[in-house]
This record gives sequence, structure tokens and C-alpha cells, in this order.
Amino acid sequence: MTKKKSEAANEDQTKEPNRKIVSLVKSQKEEQKVSAKKAKSSKEEEEDLLLDSGIDSDYDGDSLSGSLNSDDFDAGIFDDSEEDDGSNRDTQDGDDEGELVDSENGEEEDGSDDDDEGSEQGEVAEESDSSEDEVAPRNTVGDVPLEWYKDEKHIGYDITGKKITKKEKQDKLDSFLATMDDSKNWRKVYDEYNDEEVELTKEESKLIRRMLKGEAPHADFDPYAPYFDWFKWDDAIHPLSSAPEPKRRFIPSKWEAKKVVKLVRAIRKGLIKFDKPEEEPNVYLLWGDDSTSDQKSKHLTYIPPPKLKLPGHEESYNPSLEYIPTEEEKASYELMYEEDRPKFIPKRFTSLRSIPAYENALKESFDRCLDLYLCPRVRKKRINIDPESLKPKLPSRKDLRPYPNSCYLEYKGHTGPVTSISTELSGQWIASGSTDGSVRIWEVETGRCLKVWQFDEAVKCVAWNPLPDSPILAVAMGIDLVFLNTELGTEEEQQRIEELLRLDNNLPELDEAAAAIAKWLPDKKYGGIKISHFKNLSYVDWHPRGDYISAVMPGGETRGVVIHQLSAHSTKRLPIKMRGLPVCTLFHPNRRGIFIIATKKYVRVYNLHKNGEPIKKLETGLREISSMAIHPGGDNLVVGSKEGKMCWFDMDLSSKPYKILKNHPKDITNVGFHRSYPLFASCSEDSTAYVFHGKVYSDLNENPLIVPLEILSGHSSKGGVLDCKFHPRQPWLFTAGGDSVIKLYCH
Amino acid sequence: MEGEGEDASKVIHVKFVTKLYPPFKAPVSSVVIPSNVTRLGLSSIVNSLLTLEKPEAFDFLIDGELIRMSLEQFLLAKGISAEQTLEIEYIRAVAPRKEEKPSLHDDWVSAVDGSSPRFILTGCYDGLGRIWDSPGSCTHILEGHTGAISSVAFVNSQGAESVTVATASKDRTLRLFKVDTSESGDSTTRVRAYKILRGHKASVQSVVAEKHGTMVCSSSWDCTINLWNTDESESELSVSGKKRKGNNQAEETQLEGEAETTFVGHTQCVSSVVWPEHDVIYSSSWDHSVRRWDVPTGKDTLNLYCGKALNTVGVGGEGSALVAAGGSDPVLRVWDPRKPGTSAPVFQFSSHSSWISTCKWHESSWFHLLSASYDGKIMLWDLRTAWPLSIIDTHKDKVLCADWWKGDSVVSGGADSNLRISSRISIS
Repeated sequence: MTKKKSEAANEDQTKEPNRKIVSLVKSQKEEQKVSAKKAKSSKEEEEDLLLDSGIDSDYDGDSLSGSLNSDDFDAGIFDDSEEDDGSNRDTQDGDDEGELVDSENGEEEDGSDDDDEGSEQGEVAEESDSSEDEVAPRNTVGDVPLEWYKDEKHIGYDITGKKITKKEKQDKLDSFLATMDDSKNWRKVYDEYNDEEVELTKEESKLIRRMLKGEAPHADFDPYAPYFDWFKWDDAIHPLSSAPEPKRRFIPSKWEAKKVVKLVRAIRKGLIKFDKPEEEPNVYLLWGDDSTSDQKSKHLTYIPPPKLKLPGHEESYNPSLEYIPTEEEKASYELMYEEDRPKFIPKRFTSLRSIPAYENALKESFDRCLDLYLCPRVRKKRINIDPESLKPKLPSRKDLRPYPNSCYLEYKGHTGPVTSISTELSGQWIASGSTDGSVRIWEVETGRCLKVWQFDEAVKCVAWNPLPDSPILAVAMGIDLVFLNTELGTEEEQQRIEELLRLDNNLPELDEAAAAIAKWLPDKKYGGIKISHFKNLSYVDWHPRGDYISAVMPGGETRGVVIHQLSAHSTKRLPIKMRGLPVCTLFHPNRRGIFIIATKKYVRVYNLHKNGEPIKKLETGLREISSMAIHPGGDNLVVGSKEGKMCWFDMDLSSKPYKILKNHPKDITNVGFHRSYPLFASCSEDSTAYVFHGKVYSDLNENPLIVPLEILSGHSSKGGVLDCKFHPRQPWLFTAGGDSVIKLYCH
Repeated sequence: MEGEGEDASKVIHVKFVTKLYPPFKAPVSSVVIPSNVTRLGLSSIVNSLLTLEKPEAFDFLIDGELIRMSLEQFLLAKGISAEQTLEIEYIRAVAPRKEEKPSLHDDWVSAVDGSSPRFILTGCYDGLGRIWDSPGSCTHILEGHTGAISSVAFVNSQGAESVTVATASKDRTLRLFKVDTSESGDSTTRVRAYKILRGHKASVQSVVAEKHGTMVCSSSWDCTINLWNTDESESELSVSGKKRKGNNQAEETQLEGEAETTFVGHTQCVSSVVWPEHDVIYSSSWDHSVRRWDVPTGKDTLNLYCGKALNTVGVGGEGSALVAAGGSDPVLRVWDPRKPGTSAPVFQFSSHSSWISTCKWHESSWFHLLSASYDGKIMLWDLRTAWPLSIIDTHKDKVLCADWWKGDSVVSGGADSNLRISSRISIS
């Protein structure tokens, strides 16, 4: 038995277990097996054959194998647990099997010997025929569909025509018990064709697992094996093919020629253009600044030394005669101061040979070295900012229309410079006063002069009463303030005005202080009221309610501002301690009792209701204030100065100007706001008037928007523009010129 | 005519047609003319075709558009092919052919009305209205105003014996005069108003009379438009008491009238009113708007916004529906209120160089209107071209008023105190 076993083991070394499921596996072992079989003795061969077909016969036979197998495999189980490698175990298995089959065969020899032999022979022939790895099927029933025998007791016929009976099928309980008893039962597979149960070896189950994973079936197969280039390319001295070189290798290509012709034509037609080789600029700036040249600026720290002055003609060794100073000139150099004397006096040498050594050469090169060494040179970074980008972003002028821009109407009639104009509230009339002593009323629409009053003195200021129903004109000239009845109202209004302007003989009694300043008198000439002051008047301004009027006397110093009340015929001194010379005054347009006085440098705000309590002092920073205007909203103030500057104050914001506009080259004579449009204007002695957009937002967080809009320069250059006033309802501007013309600029 | 001498490609086959009567009817036949001829060239061609004794100026229309450049440019601009025979219609040029003698006033002539073919009515800054029956001969002087007259209007110019005249003045009143026209003496008669219309609180700017009616409409600086009745009898009853008090020093009894209706809506001076139909009044104002008022209800039914203060408004043109207005800039704008969805002007004429004081549509023509400006020029316009048809440049100062007279003359008054009449304007 032992001997046999070893033999079988030998055999099995080379023998692949013969299983149908393993048909895919290719191995050399089988080939070896075949050759080994051939070389075997007949006895051995017989045994071998028996062994080979033993398993078949095992199935041919009866159910014994089950129990036998289970007994047999006990050891195998233990082997498994010992984790032997597959081949080892296989041999054991095969060994056991072989042994077992052998014994079985021994028992059954009578029946199946011949058959087995025959089948074996056929098998061998088959195998030798094909190099296929396939082990010949041990199928004894032939290739017939099994359902033919589904209901029969046999599964087919053997070669002799005997029925091959089916094994008895295990019922469910048995198979369940089998799985319970035998932990290896899961390896058993039922082979329908051969009607047997096949147990898979461990290697086979591994093989199946690998295939399920999609890997190569054989464990030894390396899909990523390094590529071995078995062909030697280098030292092959003979060609692989000994065919002679074909003719086409020696004649020029027809297609290439065609292609070339095509390209040449395209180039000639200009369809193909070549990039011209970049030409190296062969000229360069010989005396150019080194700092701009590219090669030098590569080095960050490189700072070019300052350039020496280039030699001129006079430095030539043989300059033209006109460069050579005469003796007198040389003598005059001697008389000059050391620093004024020319550093170099041209000399003339007939030839290069006769030039002496330069006496200062050493000293100068030393100085130069000192310069280079000691003079700290710093690279100055030029700031590269577009000046346009520094300008504030302003809305376009087009979007800020309407604003006055072109003059269509002129009011001509005055013979002297027009010093002051005033618009009536409805916008139908304007009044003007001139240095020729006349006060005129003009019809705005046609430019017709409606009325003229002639006085003896130059008119300083005219002002319409701001109430629409009392067309009274206040005129300041010399020391007098005259109220004129313009006779423009309806009858009832006329009656009222006449009463108002009638003093008769009961002159109003003023307190002492006021009487020293002003005196109320009836105007003999035009039937109004005349108030004579103790100093010359320069400016009058009505209270928005039209009853009070303030008068400014720059020469009056501390008593320079008085307020007259027209209805009561009375004059009041301001309860204010004046500082500086008053220039102009303003009543706040909508807060009662607020009074603004501009002196030469400051603008002060007082509350007259609280006995002249000072509220605010605005620091203009201007040299001399000339005029002032308040925005109809009451929070913004524009101050014009005699140096051509204009300050916009946001009175809620600060006592410093919100913006200073320096626009006029000469004195600003007047500034003004429009009543309803967001416009303001300034006029100056340079004969121009500037119109600005000045929008004040009701949102307190937003700063006023100031945009210069238009320069109105229609007046002749002499005398400048002395006054400007906006039309009360239209975006129009009246300008009064020193050329005795009033112009109306319309939108 | 034989223009094909040098360049055969630059000739056009044209056919001159006209609606004029002989002797201005040219033979209808195709002629070949050079393409670079201007209006003058075309005119001389037609003249030579007509063989008139006196040369006549013509204007030419192609497809209803006046030619105002050389024919070649015109065709290029309009994209008309020069291949086929062009049909050019010619009309007599709209230009004054005669300048009448100026009628001198004492002061600026502020208003003129030429709606009556028999008379010219003028208003003057000296407060007097004048009636002229022919250039230079003043028949009546209308007196009474204490301020400058700003506007005048014939109320009833059809009367055989007497015409009624309304004047508006800067003294805040309107006065109505009855002028006896039967007497035609050489001397001028002075006429006093039979009725004074008080009610405006500021200068009256404009007065206009209802066509074939007895109402007058006035506009004023107090932003209102008032309608007044001109009847004698009714108002006498209503205001007789007042009249005695107010005007007892007058030798004749003068009636006083009060406004029938007041239209309130404008926010600034109402500078001009026109009353083209029975129940529609148009007004222009310095508040930059033109409004249309429905007379029975007193509501404004249309509001055209212009952006400029307006001095004048005129209604006329096609179906009396176009509105022309001018004001504080040199542009005469024409709106078509029938056009839905837009308030942009359909025409803008901007050849003037100063404010426009007056614009008036021609009574019978759909295309013609005149405008007077402070630059001293009166321009005649045709809607079919953007250039003025002709410029009357006789005034030496601002032109304050102008009107058509008798359909073929333009009467105008200005700051040079002259009433000037340019006549013999042929408008077909």
C-alpha cells in the first residue's frame, strides 16, 4: 500500500485532478502526464487508467462513495486546518482517492474494465490530437440533452448499450444533515452529466474565487509582468527583409511636388504670409538717458551715474575763430567774480601734437570719483498716475439741465455801469441801478424799460420787496435809502403802498442811538420815503416777510448795520457788538430772527430774538469777503471774496468751508442762489459769470453736490460783471455789466 | 436744358407738373436736365418753358417734399432713383414780392391782428390801439388804456357798419371798442371803450376772440385764463352800480364786465391763448407747458411739456390739429397731439437766433406758418421742409408781433415802432 501510495503520489505530482469544472485550466502537468503515461509500463498504465477512470467508475458505481469520501476526507479536513499549500494537499487527496478507487475498481473490475480502457484510449488519442488543455469529458451518456432522461431511472446508455442508472437523489433532509455533519459539504457540486457529486479542491475553489474577482485564473499569472523585448534591434547587420529597395524610393514624390506648387502659388498670391523676422533696431539713442535703457534697468539697484556735459565746438583743440575770446574778453573775465568766470576758455592749437597735457586732469578725475562715490544717488520713482483719475467724478452737464447758457436778451438804456439788479417775485420785472444815478424797471419778456427814476448820486444797491403784493423798490445811494413806489400793483395794493410810504409831516421819533444813525424823511422828488444815514450805504437786504430791511454802512464800524421797519417807520440799532467792517448781511430765509453778518474775514450768525446772541462764526479763510448768498433751504451759504475764491459753507457741518472754489482770476462781485432750481452763480470783475449746479440733499448724510456748469462771458471786458441775479421762476440768469448792459442768459 | 453736353450720366429726365393755372402751366413733356441744378436752375428752366414776360420764382416738390438743395443731393438724400422720369411739381415761391410802406407808431408795436381783410388792428406800448385800413393810413385810434397794450383782437369783424375790437393791456384790464367803419374820412377818429373788463390781478398778456361768437378769452401774468362776455346789454344790468362809482368822470358811460369763467391750472404767466374752435382753447405759458382747455367744463384736456418758457402758441395745419409754439429759445416746435404715446415735437424749426415772439398758422394752407423773433426776422415756414421758405428782414429791432393779412400778406410790428406789411405772398 505504501509503495502504491508513493507511486500514486508520483503520478499525482504530474496529474491535474480530473474535474469538469476545471476544464478552463491549462497546465503543463497534463502534457507531462500524457507523456508519462506513454512511458509507463502496462501494469502501471492499467493502474493508472483505472485510477484515471476510477472516479468515473466511482460514479458509475453506487452511493458508496459518499460515505467513503467522507471517511476519506477526514484527514483532509485536518490538513486544511493546518493550512497546507494547495499542491501538497492535492497530492494527498489524489493519493487517497487513487487508493480508494483502486480498491473499488478491484471490486468492480468485472464490469467496466474494457470500457474504461477503450474510453481511456480514445481520450489519449484526443489529447494527443489537440494541444487543448481540455480534459476529455468523462461523459458516458453522450452529448444528449439531459431532459430526455428527466423522468427515467437511468441517465443514458453506456457504450455497450446498457442503461446507466441514476444515483439515488438525496432528499433535502439528508443534504441538510450532510451540510450539518460535514463542514466540507459546501464544496460538493453535483455533476448532472455524470450523475455524481464532485468535491472541489481548495485550489479549485481559490481558482473560482479569482475568476469571480475578474483576475487571471492562475495564481502564478502576473498581468503586470515587465515587458521583455526579446528582439535585438541594434546589432542586426542584415536587413530583416532582403527585398531590394523599391523604385519609388529613388524618384521624387509627385504629391510632394504638387503640394509645393500649391504652396508656392499661395505665397505668390499672398495667401500665406510669413512672420517677418524681427529686425534688430540698428539705431539707438546715443546720448539717451541710461536709466531708461533696458539692459541696465534689469539690475534693480543699478543707478546710472550723472552724465557729464558733452563737449562742444569750443572744447575742440582747434575751434573756429569765433569761439576764441579776444584779449579784451579775456581781460573782462579777469574782472569777473570767481563764480561768474567761465570755467573753460577755448584755445587754439594747430595740431594735436602741440596740445599740452591737461593740467586739471588728475584733479578733475579725482573730483569725479568723489562725486560718484560720495554723492548719494537715489532712484526716484516717478509716480505714474493719470491726472484725469484724480479729478472727482462729476455728473455730466447734460444731466444737470436746465441751466442758463446762452444770452438772447439785453436790457440797454443805462449810461453808466449797472451796479445792482433785483428781480421781482413774479419774474415779470427787474429793477436795476446804475452809477449814472438812474434806477430802471425793465420788462423781462421784451427788454423794454418801463420806468426810470433819476437820482443825483450813483446807485449802490436796489432791492425789490420780497412780498408779491407790495411792489416797493428800496434803493441805496450815497447815505440815502429811498423806498420807491413802482405803481405795478393793483389798485388796492397801490392804496396800501401809498399809505405805507406816506410820512406827511409827523416824522417818526427814534430813540437817541438810532437817531444818530438814521433819519426818516419824505422823498420830495418821487414821493416815497428817504432814510438818511450818517455814513454811506453799500448794501440793503429785505427780510423775507418784507417789513424789515437791513442797511450796511461799511464806514459805520460798530454801528455799521441797522434795521429799519417799514410799517412802523422805525429804525433799530442792532444789539450786537460788531467786530470788523460789515460787508453784507442776510436774513435767514426760513428761521425767524436769525441774522447773518459778513465782515471782511468772518461770517457771524446771530439770533436777533435772543437779543443778538451769537450762534456761529464761520471762518472763511478768505482775505476779503465781497458778497454772500444763502441757499433757500437755509443751511448752506456761499461767500464770494475779492481774491476770486468762493466758499461753500454747510452751516450744519462745520465752521470751515465745505468747498472752496477758485475760479475767477479777479474779484468776485456777487454770488447768488436760485430760489427753486439747484443753481448758483458768481460774477466777477473779469467780465464773466460762472453758473454752478449746487444740489443740497434733504438726506443729511449726503454732502451737497457742486458741479461747475457754464462760464457766461458776454459782457465787454471793461468794468466786469457787477451783479448777477437769477430769475425767480425760470432757470435764467441776469447779469449786470460794467458796460451798462444787463444781459439775460436763458437755458 | 441741353445739359447732356459733358456728362451723359449726370442727367435726369423730369416732367414738370403743376396745379397752377395758366399762364403758369407748363407743357407736360419730359425734359432732360443736369442733375446738379439747384432751385434757381429749376426755376429758370420752368421760366424758359413758360416764356413769361416777367420772371417768376418757383418752389419745387418731389413726392410732397420741397427741394432745398441741389437736385442730385436731394435725390441722394431721399433715396430716389434718378433712372426713371421724375415728376416735379412746382408752385410759386412763397416769398413776399412787395414791401408796403411802413406805418409809424409812437412807440413799440406790441400787437397786431390781421384777421379782418379790411383792417389791420395794432396795439402799441403808448396804450393806444390803432386801426389801419391800408398801409400808412390810420382810421381809428382806440384810447383809454393806462398801460401798454399787449394784445389786440377783432371780436366781430364781419359787421357791415361797425366792428368790435378787444384790447388787452398791462394795466390789468381789457377794453372793448365798437368801431364805426362806415364813415371813411381822412381824419383819424378817436374811440373810447364801451366796456372795460376788470378781473385780472396782473398784466394781461393775450386776448383772443371766439370765432363767430361774442366771447373773448384773455390770459394774464396772474396765471389765469378768463372768459369774458362782450354783450352790451347783460353786463350793464349786472354791474351798473359799480360803473357809476368807478367811472363817473367819463363823459360817456362805460360798462364794466366781470369774467364769466376762469381757467386755473397754469403755474406761471400764461403768455398766449388761441381759440381755434368753439369749445377748445389752447394756451401757452412760462411754466413750459401748452394746455388745451375744454371750454364747457373748464378742464385742461391736454398738457404738452416743452422745457422752455413759451411766449406764443398757434393751432392750425392739417385738420387744425397741429400745435406750434415758440418761446425762450430760437426753436419753433410743432406738436401733433393726435399722435398717441409721445409728447415729442413732430417738427422743430431752428433757424432763428433769438426768442420767438409770435407764431401764426396760415388760415387756409395746411403747411404754412410764420414765426417772428427778437432777432428782427420773420420767417415763413413750410412743414415740408426744415428750411425757412423766406425770411422777412425789414425790422431793425425785435419783432414783437406778426400776423397774416388777407391770406397773402404778413403784417408785423416791432420794437422799431413800425408796422410793416410784406405783401403778395402766393400761397396756393
